[in-house]
Amino acid sequence: MSMKSQDIPQLSDLPNPPKQLFFIGKPTTVLFKNCVAIVGSRQITEYGKRVIDMLVPKLVFEKKTIVSGFMRGVDQYTHRVCVENGGKTIAVLGWGIDTILTPEDKKLAEAIVSHDGILLSEWQTQRPTLWTFPVRNRIVAALSKDVYIIEAGLKSGSLITANWAVKLKRKLYAVPGPLTSRVSEGTNHLIASGQAIMWLGDMMQTEQSNDPLIQLISNEPLTIDQLARKLNKPIAEIGAAVSLLQLSGQIFERGGVYYKK
Amino acid sequence: MYTIRNNMLTKIRSTANIGLTTIPIDVEVDVATAGFPGFTIVGLASKAVEEARERVKTAIINSGFDFPPKKITVNLAPADIPKDGAAYDLPIAVGILIASEQLPENTVFDLKKQFFYGELSLDGTLRPTKGVLLLALFAKKITGSQIFVPEFSANEASVVNIPVYPVLTLHRIIQHFTKTKPLNPLTYISVKDELDMEPPEFDLSEIAGQEQAKRAIIIAASGGHNMLMFGPPGTGKTMLARALPGILPPLNEQEALEVTRIYSISGLLPPGASLITKRPFRAPHHGVSTVGLIGGGSNPMPGEVSLAHLGVLFLDEMPEFPRSALESLRQPMEDGDVEIVRVAGHVKYPASFTLLAAINPCPCGYLGHPKRACTCSERQIAKYRHRISGPILDRIDLHVSVSVIAVEKLSLSLKNNPNAITSKQAKAMVVTARDIQTKRFAGTNIYTNSQMKNKDVKKFCMLTPESENILKLASDTYNFSARSYIRMIKVARTIADLDHKKDILPNHIAESLQYKQMV
Repeated sequence: MSMKSQDIPQLSDLPNPPKQLFFIGKPTTVLFKNCVAIVGSRQITEYGKRVIDMLVPKLVFEKKTIVSGFMRGVDQYTHRVCVENGGKTIAVLGWGIDTILTPEDKKLAEAIVSHDGILLSEWQTQRPTLWTFPVRNRIVAALSKDVYIIEAGLKSGSLITANWAVKLKRKLYAVPGPLTSRVSEGTNHLIASGQAIMWLGDMMQTEQSNDPLIQLISNEPLTIDQLARKLNKPIAEIGAAVSLLQLSGQIFERGGVYYKK
Repeated sequence: MYTIRNNMLTKIRSTANIGLTTIPIDVEVDVATAGFPGFTIVGLASKAVEEARERVKTAIINSGFDFPPKKITVNLAPADIPKDGAAYDLPIAVGILIASEQLPENTVFDLKKQFFYGELSLDGTLRPTKGVLLLALFAKKITGSQIFVPEFSANEASVVNIPVYPVLTLHRIIQHFTKTKPLNPLTYISVKDELDMEPPEFDLSEIAGQEQAKRAIIIAASGGHNMLMFGPPGTGKTMLARALPGILPPLNEQEALEVTRIYSISGLLPPGASLITKRPFRAPHHGVSTVGLIGGGSNPMPGEVSLAHLGVLFLDEMPEFPRSALESLRQPMEDGDVEIVRVAGHVKYPASFTLLAAINPCPCGYLGHPKRACTCSERQIAKYRHRISGPILDRIDLHVSVSVIAVEKLSLSLKNNPNAITSKQAKAMVVTARDIQTKRFAGTNIYTNSQMKNKDVKKFCMLTPESENILKLASDTYNFSARSYIRMIKVARTIADLDHKKDILPNHIAESLQYKQMV
């Protein structure tokens, strides 16, 4: 299946947008709407994994599509965690769409597609070579509103993605790491040079909502029983809704009473 | 059948109860013509059995028979099992009457098949005696057996399908055997007939407000989860607790017998009562000792945990209980039974109960109260909360805060209120949820969601990816331990069962987060 790049408006920010795109899976316009890129080194550390375990569930919860490069290491781990959490993800390949995948990669690709995600490439038969990966990185950056660099060496492909993000005025986040870790040198550098915002794990984006629960709570702090009475709804339903609002950081609880944040 | 005439030695059958195990006892009575007159009881008899001599002697004389001035020896065989209680009075008395050859010619016994059991009063009447149900259940294993038991305790045996003869006096029992005035056996009552729906002591609809606590009670009842209520005094914690037995599924035949057995051995069945058909509700005071709670004594008796078997154990003001008593709850909560080891041997009592605990937010109870001031110091509060150990809290699946309710806002009207629920409706929900669990756990030894071990959780609790996402996020936000993570899944499983859903959906896991641990 192929599609013109004009159908994805954010790609037109690129000076050299891809002429054509090829897919495995079903591309939809909704899928491209709320994209966040997560990229990083092929040599993933335990620390990198733990950061991804923290970050990806949050983004999935916020209904973001997660874009990455389908490489070993950070990229594939991101895709996997996203799929495990029931999220949608886009894998931008550094090679032609018709290339035969290794059995392991194929398994992940199938998981991505079965969760309404896609694999995407601007080539049909191109073989992976040195120049294809940096070229692919511009698409990763262009698709996304926010770009997270988890771990990256000083001279790595991830920094090329970071450069593209800066050029395209995307919000760039980098995860700080130990000074002793080679795969954190790049990310620490991005932070130190002011190119990237330091991601500290507690930045939960919230959106203004018309939820009647929030409106009630912003008027006066209430207990859950009072909320159920005021909205005349089953307590089970209110309980579930309140838990989710708490998780997304919009309300909080002190001694059985809920307050607006 | 044979006539016991010209026989100096008789053997009467009776039973001893060690814990819930019944052991047959032969009461051998020998009346010797030679030797100094006297009356000895041998066979590891306790003080209560020793004293049977005086009771039996007086009862025989007061019933109009002769007490032989001869050498009487009573042996309770097997001789190595300690015997306790006054239940051997009747078999000893009957044995003496037979062995002393004072009964009329036409007296016919069938001593191999007849069991005698009961305490004698000095005037020859039989007093209520504990453990009659256990005797009846044991006798049932021997075809053609009959039991002779005190009239006041006979009813508990009426659910066992064997001839049960209720005996009022020693004189009456002899009249039965001489055929001058035969006794009528009790009519057998099928256990099923007894299990009609009992009205609950407290109906959920009587409790105003507390919507979430009521919902939590229903979840607790459905999944067999232990629950902790947290809130100031006077908010209805005790009322909620008392409503719980009323929404648990009715006891089945097997369960009713199991509960009645425990009450029979403890002597806690009211005289004349037959079967316990209501789920037990036990609320020991916080002064209770460890032995009182889990059972014990030189002849180990069931404690509160066993008396609450298949029912509810309510610990009000849990931090006030002695720490040692609370810690002793860990083993029964884990295993569903309790093992007591004493000199007399070791005894196992079933103790599979739902724990319901209530705690105040602080020693004075008014911390966080909208109108009243708390008078406790920081230190007191911290100390108070630390009295419940982590391992106990870990075994409590549902934690719910019970808030203060403004009186003027309460409405008990059932109309248009989606949270109004009667105990009858709640019970129906619980029964359906339990049926789903029974089907799911068929072929395992699990009955409710709360009993799942970690590997069972993996096997039986399918979370949709979105649910898993929520749970992971929550576990990150609230720093769940591995145990609380599993607990959340178990509770969500029950919520999904109440919703008749096969998989655990996001709203189920989100609701379960409402019941996470607070302290």
